[in-house]
Formats: sequence, C-alpha cells, structure tokens
Amino acid sequence: MSADLDRTPRNLLLCDRSSLLDQKNRLSAQVQQLHFGYKVSVLLPECSSAPSHLDSVLSSFSSFYLIRKLPIYELLDSDFLQKAVYPGGVYGLSYKTRIDEDNCVALMPNGRLCLSLDKDSFEVLGFEGKPSRFNHRSRSRFVVSVDLTDNNVAPGGRGYLRLVTGLKSRLHLQTDFLLSHHPGGGACLQPLLSRYDWSEHTPEVSRCHLTHLSCPAPRSCDPHSLLDWLGAVDAGVSREDSSSSFLSSLACPDPKTTLGGALRVSVCGLLLPPDVQRLIQELRRYLEQPLLESWVSLTVHGFMDSPVSWGDGEHGVLRGGENFYNLLMFQDHTYQLHLATGAHDTCPP
Amino acid sequence: MREVFLSPWERHGLMDAEVLVQAPVPHVLEKVLGVEPQAQSKAAAFTKAFLKNSIQHPARHDLKSMLTRKAVILGYIRPKKEKTKRNSKKAKGLNARQKKAMKIFQLKPEHQRYELFLPLQELWRQYIIELCSGLKPTSSPQFVQQKLLKADLHGAILTVVRSKCPSYVGTTGILVQEFKHVFKIITKEDKLKVIPKRNSVFAVEINGFVSHIFGSKFEQRASERSAKKFKVRGTIDL
Repeated sequence: MSADLDRTPRNLLLCDRSSLLDQKNRLSAQVQQLHFGYKVSVLLPECSSAPSHLDSVLSSFSSFYLIRKLPIYELLDSDFLQKAVYPGGVYGLSYKTRIDEDNCVALMPNGRLCLSLDKDSFEVLGFEGKPSRFNHRSRSRFVVSVDLTDNNVAPGGRGYLRLVTGLKSRLHLQTDFLLSHHPGGGACLQPLLSRYDWSEHTPEVSRCHLTHLSCPAPRSCDPHSLLDWLGAVDAGVSREDSSSSFLSSLACPDPKTTLGGALRVSVCGLLLPPDVQRLIQELRRYLEQPLLESWVSLTVHGFMDSPVSWGDGEHGVLRGGENFYNLLMFQDHTYQLHLATGAHDTCPP
Repeated sequence: MREVFLSPWERHGLMDAEVLVQAPVPHVLEKVLGVEPQAQSKAAAFTKAFLKNSIQHPARHDLKSMLTRKAVILGYIRPKKEKTKRNSKKAKGLNARQKKAMKIFQLKPEHQRYELFLPLQELWRQYIIELCSGLKPTSSPQFVQQKLLKADLHGAILTVVRSKCPSYVGTTGILVQEFKHVFKIITKEDKLKVIPKRNSVFAVEINGFVSHIFGSKFEQRASERSAKKFKVRGTIDL
C-alpha cells in the first residue's frame, strides 16, 4: 500500500503571473495552443445575472459538426486539402475513441494530422511513425504525425500515395469525427460532410446561480488549494466544514469571505481558441465596470482523449487525462494563469 | 683394403687417394725409404697379382663383380604426393568465399524482369494444387496450411502484411530466392527487393486461400524446413 503511494503519478502545474497591459505577456499564445477545448467554465462572483454582451459572446461560440463513421482517408482527399486544410483553421478530433485503447486522430489548424495508433494498427498501416513517449518498456502505442502542408505529402506524391493506400486498403481506420472551422461557416467543409452522415451541434451553455459561497482570497491563496476550490465549485461539491461529513472533506482555504451569490456559466462542446480569446476580451470589458468583487475566473478544459494537448505535444492518459488551464483576471488588468497537466503529458507552454 | 661401401662424397676423395697409391714415389723419398719406383704398368700388374693372392676365392661369389664399385643409395627422398583426402570433400564443393566470388546466387540485371518469372509462378501454382491434391473450395484450411508449411515457396507471390518496420509493409512480388534469414522478391516494377524474415508477416495466396506466415518462425533454409515440425501457438506478437 505504501509503495503505491510513494509512486503517485506526477502532475504538473505551471503558474504564470502577469499583466494584460504588459507587451510581453504570452497569454494569447498560450491560449491559442490548446487547440481542442472541451469545456469552458466562468465563475463570476457577486453577480446575479450575466450582462447581455457576455451572454451574447457565450452563445456565439462556433458550431461544430459530428460525422459518424468517417473513414480517415477522406481527410486526405485532395479537394478537402485544397479548400480547407491549406488555408488553415480546420480543427478535427476523433470522438468517443479512448486514447489508451483505440486509435485516435486529430487534425490541427496548422495542417498537422496526428494519428495515435496501437501496435497492431501501426504495423499494418506501414507509414513511418515514432513510438509514443509514454510507454517505456513495451512499445504498445505509436504516433504518426504528418504535416499535410509539407511537399513530401503533396497530393500525387509518393508519400501521399503511401499514406492514402495505407489508410484505404491496409488499415481501415474509421471513427466518429468532430469537425469545426474557425472563421465560421462550414462552406469549405460541405463537400466532405455531404458524403457522410453528419449533424451540426452548437456548444451547450448552462448557467447556475450559487448562493452563500465561501470563497478564498484569490491573490493570496496558493494555487493548489485555489484550484481545488474552483473545481469543487464547478462540480457543485458542498464544502461545509463539518468533520463528520462522510462524502467530502474539502474545505474552503483560509482566509475566506462569504459571497452572497455567484454565477457559474459553463459551455461544453468542441471549443476553439479564437472563441476563447474573444471571451477573455469580453471578460476584461466586464471587469472594467465597478464590481463588488474584483476578480473573475475562467477555466478551459481540454479533451481527455485527444492525442495532442498543447501545441503538438503528445497527450496520454495514465489515471486521468486532465489538461486544462485556469485564468484569474483582476480589475487592474493583472492575471494569474495556471496550466495543469497529468502524468502522460508534455510540459505546457 | 678398401671398403666396398662408399658414399658418393667419399668416392670422390678416394679417387685422389687411389691416384696417390698408384703415383710414383717422389724422388726425394727414394733414398729415404730405400725403394725402387716401378713403371706404371708394372705397378698395376703387381697390385693385381698381390690382391689375387691375398684374397680368399669363395666359389659361390663372383668377386670381381662384387669388387667393382657400385653406387648404393643410402637413403632417398620420395617426392610428396598431394593427399587425396582433400579432393573427396562433399559433392557441393564450393565454400562460401568461392560462392561469393563466383556470384552464382546473384541475378544479373538483365535477368531481373518480372515477366521472366511469371512461368515460374504458374509452375508453383500447379505444384501446390497437386500437393494439396486438387485445391477445392471445400478443402479445410488446416490441411492446406500444413502442406504449405513444408512446401517450397520459390515462385509464390508474397505480400508483406505486417511488419515492425513500416517501410516493408505492402511490398508484393514473386519469390525468387529464399535464404536462411531473407526473402528475395522481384516486384512488378522489376525491382529486386531483399526482405528480412524476422519481425514480418507474409501472406501467400493460392486459389483464394490466403495463408499468413510469421517470418520470425520461418528462419531456416528451405531445404531444412521440410523436416521441421512447427508448434501450434495461439497468437504471435511481432
């Protein structure tokens, strides 16, 4: 028992403090790098209802498409490449494929296609790839990463033909696929969509009003307990301080104040970084008006089963596949950014 | 009395001595020794008569022929003959170095054409059909597999189905040569490809029966494979 506890899987928390007025702040670069966001939750303390402009931004997150049983070689269709991938801005992720069991596919806006395959599929596919960084002794997972904008994989070339024949005739890779395009409008995606069974979804927004919330002082609290508290609020865990409670012994970190109320808004779906950027700008504007509590918290969670987490870094699941970041913004334009990952992950930017 | 057995070297020396014996006594010594030198012919006659009187004359032997000098060889060196064992090695004859030097197992570039091997492929098909006593669609795959394991695969169309090295996957062609660790295959583009057997799975197709061969377990020479028993295993991981 104690041997297990000695070797708990590591998790990484990166804390960044800066000001939005500072020229050199890397916030937008860091936000841009988490390509596939699953959930965004905003906590507005002492707020009864969201102001209208904030609401409108929350409702205007780009819609995404879910394609059932998309054969992956369709992503290499020369027409699709010309119209959608080369101009950039296409985000794609395989849906309901578990990263440690099945084969997962991700298409990134810079034209990079990443396939995370198990051993048998990789041996059958026949395209060059690398063993995953996270299996140390037995190589059970392989990552094939192809830059579709590269000349080697231009349509008609040898590399392209090899990959397409591999995906078509040797390994019949077919998954449900989530597809989205940033500058809105699925016009360039329509030819692909029309061939398969697809449905369009908008990100789901849910609001919850919380009362009598005890909350820590955000500037002085240490990051771990702050994140614990935020997570508890998000999950709706009660944080009474009673030691006799069986279900939860999470307590609000000291020093604490009691809020009359707070508003918790969460958006779920395939959320793209440009939309998150817009939300951050909107929250900045919201903070400029006089408020009772001078801070706002925004948390963006990435997909647990995505083959990539930040940038092109590989992502895996050991006991939990968390990769998320939390942004605490204050009225004086300063912010605290906490980036967290689990065990099988590369370091966040 | 001179010894009869003379070595060739001594013979030469004694010739001089003989000359000395029959040489006239030098004048200086005439007075010292108190002898009178005789003429040569007289001296020869005297020596012969003296010898005849001194030696016994056994009736059996012909003394004269015995006394004439004969050369007797004391020892001799036989010229060495090549040992016959070296020639009677195995019937193959060539060792690896000679094989490589003669390049008997290398195909010349003008022979590396796919069309040239199509008749071989046809022959192989007929051989296998005959081996499996007529390949009907109803014959059991087990039976066909057993026969294929012992069969010779030269001329079969092989495809690499799975491999630890991704670049081998997908190569297809007629098997030209089978070595202990390697298959040599000629592809449709007339390229001779050398594919190691280890860590790959090959597919052999005959009349609709596709047989997957795990190369790692097949690393014997074709001739030795016919005598080998193969164990039944559930699945094999590459």
